[in-house]
Amino acid sequence: MTSNRHSGIFYGVDGWTVLLYVLIVLAGWLSITSASYEEGTADLFSFSHFYMKQLLWVGMAWVTALVVLLLDERFYHMFAYPAYLGGIVLLLGALLFGREVNGAKAWFEFGSFRVQPVEFVKIATALALARVMSEYSFSINRAGDLFRVGMVICIPLFIIILQNDTGSGIVLGSFLFVLYREGLNKWLCIPVLLIAALFIFSFLLSPMTLLVTLILVCTLSEAMMNGLWRSRIVFLAVLMLSSILLCFVMALVAPGVLDIYHSLLIVTILSLGFVAVYAYRSNLRNIYITLGLFIGSMVFLPTTDYIFNSILKQHQRDRILSFLGIISDPLGTDYNVNQAKIAIGSGNFWGKGFLEGTQIKYGFVPERHTDFIFCTVGEEWGFLGAVVILSLLCMLILRLMRMGERQQEPFGRIYCYCVAAILLFHVLVNVGMTIGLMPVMGIPLPFMSYGGSSLIAFTILLFIAVRLDASTRQFSLTKL
Amino acid sequence: MRDSEGFVRMRTLQVVVLLVFALIVGRLAYIQLFDSRYDDLARANVLRHVVQYPPRGEVFDRNGEYLVQSRECYDLMVISSEIDKRGFDTARLCEVLNLSRVKLDRELANARMRPRAPRLVMSYISKEDKLRFDECNFRGFYAVYRTVRQYPREVGGNLLGYVSEVNADYLKRHPDYKIGDYVGMGGVESAYEPELRGRKGVKIQEIDTHGAIKGSYMNGRYDSLPDPGRYLVSTIDARLQLLGEELMRGKVGAAVAIEPSTGEILMMVSSPTYDPDRLVGRERGNNYMEMLRNKRQPLFNRAVRAAYPPGSTFKLVQGLIGLQEGVLRPSDLHSCHMGYQAGRLKMACHSHASPLDLRFAVATSCNAYFCYVFRDILDNPKYGSVKEGYDVWKSYVESFGFGRKLGSDFLDERNGYVPDRAFYDRQYRGSWNSLTVLSLSIGQDALGCTPLQLANLAAIVANRGYYYIPHIVKKVEGRDSLDARFYERHYTKVDPKHFEPIVEGMWRGVNVGGTSMSARLDGWDVCGKTGTAENPRGRDHSTFLSFAPKDNPKIAISVYVENGGFGASAALPIASLLEEYYLTDTIRRPAMLQYVKNMNIYYPAYDK
Repeated sequence: MTSNRHSGIFYGVDGWTVLLYVLIVLAGWLSITSASYEEGTADLFSFSHFYMKQLLWVGMAWVTALVVLLLDERFYHMFAYPAYLGGIVLLLGALLFGREVNGAKAWFEFGSFRVQPVEFVKIATALALARVMSEYSFSINRAGDLFRVGMVICIPLFIIILQNDTGSGIVLGSFLFVLYREGLNKWLCIPVLLIAALFIFSFLLSPMTLLVTLILVCTLSEAMMNGLWRSRIVFLAVLMLSSILLCFVMALVAPGVLDIYHSLLIVTILSLGFVAVYAYRSNLRNIYITLGLFIGSMVFLPTTDYIFNSILKQHQRDRILSFLGIISDPLGTDYNVNQAKIAIGSGNFWGKGFLEGTQIKYGFVPERHTDFIFCTVGEEWGFLGAVVILSLLCMLILRLMRMGERQQEPFGRIYCYCVAAILLFHVLVNVGMTIGLMPVMGIPLPFMSYGGSSLIAFTILLFIAVRLDASTRQFSLTKL
Repeated sequence: MRDSEGFVRMRTLQVVVLLVFALIVGRLAYIQLFDSRYDDLARANVLRHVVQYPPRGEVFDRNGEYLVQSRECYDLMVISSEIDKRGFDTARLCEVLNLSRVKLDRELANARMRPRAPRLVMSYISKEDKLRFDECNFRGFYAVYRTVRQYPREVGGNLLGYVSEVNADYLKRHPDYKIGDYVGMGGVESAYEPELRGRKGVKIQEIDTHGAIKGSYMNGRYDSLPDPGRYLVSTIDARLQLLGEELMRGKVGAAVAIEPSTGEILMMVSSPTYDPDRLVGRERGNNYMEMLRNKRQPLFNRAVRAAYPPGSTFKLVQGLIGLQEGVLRPSDLHSCHMGYQAGRLKMACHSHASPLDLRFAVATSCNAYFCYVFRDILDNPKYGSVKEGYDVWKSYVESFGFGRKLGSDFLDERNGYVPDRAFYDRQYRGSWNSLTVLSLSIGQDALGCTPLQLANLAAIVANRGYYYIPHIVKKVEGRDSLDARFYERHYTKVDPKHFEPIVEGMWRGVNVGGTSMSARLDGWDVCGKTGTAENPRGRDHSTFLSFAPKDNPKIAISVYVENGGFGASAALPIASLLEEYYLTDTIRRPAMLQYVKNMNIYYPAYDK
């Protein structure tokens, strides 16, 4: 295919994507300028300013983009597993030897320059996922294959959560988006989403409620998948009746030993064996998947309490609680979000104008050039500016999906979807937290937040997709 | 590529993406376009309204002399982060400003909590100290302009009132005041608060998240300058007031002088009084507490709040009612042999010629004579019963301004007390007659009058039948007139033609022969009436009503000295000296002056 490269590295490159990318990066740079500009500075072009540093990073990111485009697309296919392994080693290295910033032990430090390996692990995981799922004879609804996919996603996810960088970890969960596109049964997607929600709220609910909800979610989604309603209802009734009976009998024999929750637990665990036998006998293999989901959740649900109380830091607990409205403290936990909302809300339709945002200028919004960069957009450029920026991001994501759809190879398609999923999740969580839709998680706004490693990583992520797409189009163009 | 399953899923995911963005845009629209509270919150974050305090209006006396001045003073502020890092000469700062080292250290420690926000270190710094402070140039410290009250004559504690910072209770009732504002309390300060206060200005500054000032908002478009308070010209004669306070020193009581032709209060002394300067500045709190603990209650304005039995001065009212009711003619003679006797009841009197007519009875203050008059009023057959007669009598008394607020500009003025029928019905279980309440005839029993009401009575007699509501302010800057009620003549229910014999009696009492002889001033035709009010808790109260000259009177005065003994022994010389000083500008009776100044009355009730 090297022979097709006669027209230079830009041949087949999707112009729209590059244009959107450039526009978003420039908008981000303007916002950073606004957020970090100080009136009366003597040396406007000194590299001690964030906006001058970011200018440097933008330049480097574009050089990186060129390098990414220069490499052959087969390189990425080949490179997927080594990159993935390297990424995991980096994560472990950061966990063991890294530097702690804001409570997350997720950074490498070289002098004054800090890198978060997570940024690159996202790329590696996307590549590895694309590689696994594009293998010949891969079938997403087969339990064994699904397990492999789960492992690819979950191994880095758990290491990242161990680093106490929960926000970045959850980003990998957005690959569910890709799995759905690749044909994962929707009755598996929905319980996964529900269970994820259950995890978030688990510390609010009693164990009994959790168990019952879990049984209902799993059984009903399985019933939807296989369409065998009657026996599932019978199964639920039997579970209920036998646990009540057990509780009743035990109350007579040895009062106080067994309450209704533990009876249900015992009955449920016993029933799992029967379900497995049933699945084997009736050759319904997808029941195994539901079963695995249930057992996995059962194992992890009790640990969420532990995670919430022991692993999460006080400020993270408070953020979740304050997002859920359980605690309210305008000067403490809610301060960041409140100030962000005030800044954006005071922008109104037209905004206050470039460098005129008082909330930004006078430092009321914390982290205003990094995680809360969207506040600058909202305050200075108003609703109009915010909608323009959001439209650019939305168009980029839709464009990536479109690029994915026109790929010849599943590898390219899956990778493009991975990029779209990561960007969508970042935008939703980052913008969402500044306007009070999401709890505060420290993840950047793609291409806009200040920071070299983030910008370069997102650039690489995006341009690999552009590169893969370009070779497909070179191929199809030359074929004509 | 067109496998329909994948196509449907792609479409679904596109919808998911669009929904996510629609959710974000919807939320943004709500925050930015519909929910307006964020604008206010943003402004509250960034804008600091720095109040510019107006100088409070000043008060002059009737001759243009300062009673109350506004003196500039300064608050010392500090911004902790701007203090010289290498330290500064704290000893010198303390010495220049006369500040204790402990307090400075404490305030600096507090200021370090918010290093870039200005914090008050010390208030009431004098101009001189401020100038010395400016010379030293301590980094991080600066002075802010405010004004405080100053009293050049050091008179009129209760009369003028004082100024203090608003408290929480006041703030609740007056939403237009803010924390840190000053408000007048008592006397002139509270009565004319809206005029004296002025309007605050504001300077709007932009601040950053640390509280550091970044500049003025919109180049000062919304800033406003403070509007100084209006000045007042008071009706008080500062020199007379000063003399009054000097004369009343050592006695508990009150003295009020009114110009009868206008109702202007020339002097109003409540004794003991205090130097109003004591309620200004850093020692205010301590002084206030000390006065609050003082058993003689210097903060209690007796002139408008105390209810004293009027004693014999009330005989003037009694005689006037009798004349109007037609039960008494000036020439009517009654006999008095050391008192009035009706059955077992006897009202004592002193020795004087008998029988006697109204003029002589007023001059000599005969108790018996007015017992006859009083009983004739109450027992008048045309009213059918004593109680009906009593109601008539009471309505007359009230028309003289007793038993109700006069409506002066003192907000804390009190009613005094004139008992009504129900009071005696309760006291005597319904069975009482003119003999039971006989002591009302000589101004005793349950009667209570404020010294202001008594001075007003003197003014009524001086005017022969009417009064203007006594008031303390002559002119407010920028206004042509005062409240209309101060220009209206209030007539009593007694016809002016009946006043002449009473005036004649008061004149005789001073100039011909009677209880008030020592009040005589050559060439001024002083009229007077003494009063000696019995008092169940100690010595008699001494009181004196007077006006002068007899025709076209210039001053009407009442003096009340608690436990002063006879009217002639304490209240009379005080009133007489005040009249002399007001009318002639000098005092030609040094012996009397000395006598009054040396009079220190012992008050077992207060001094225990």
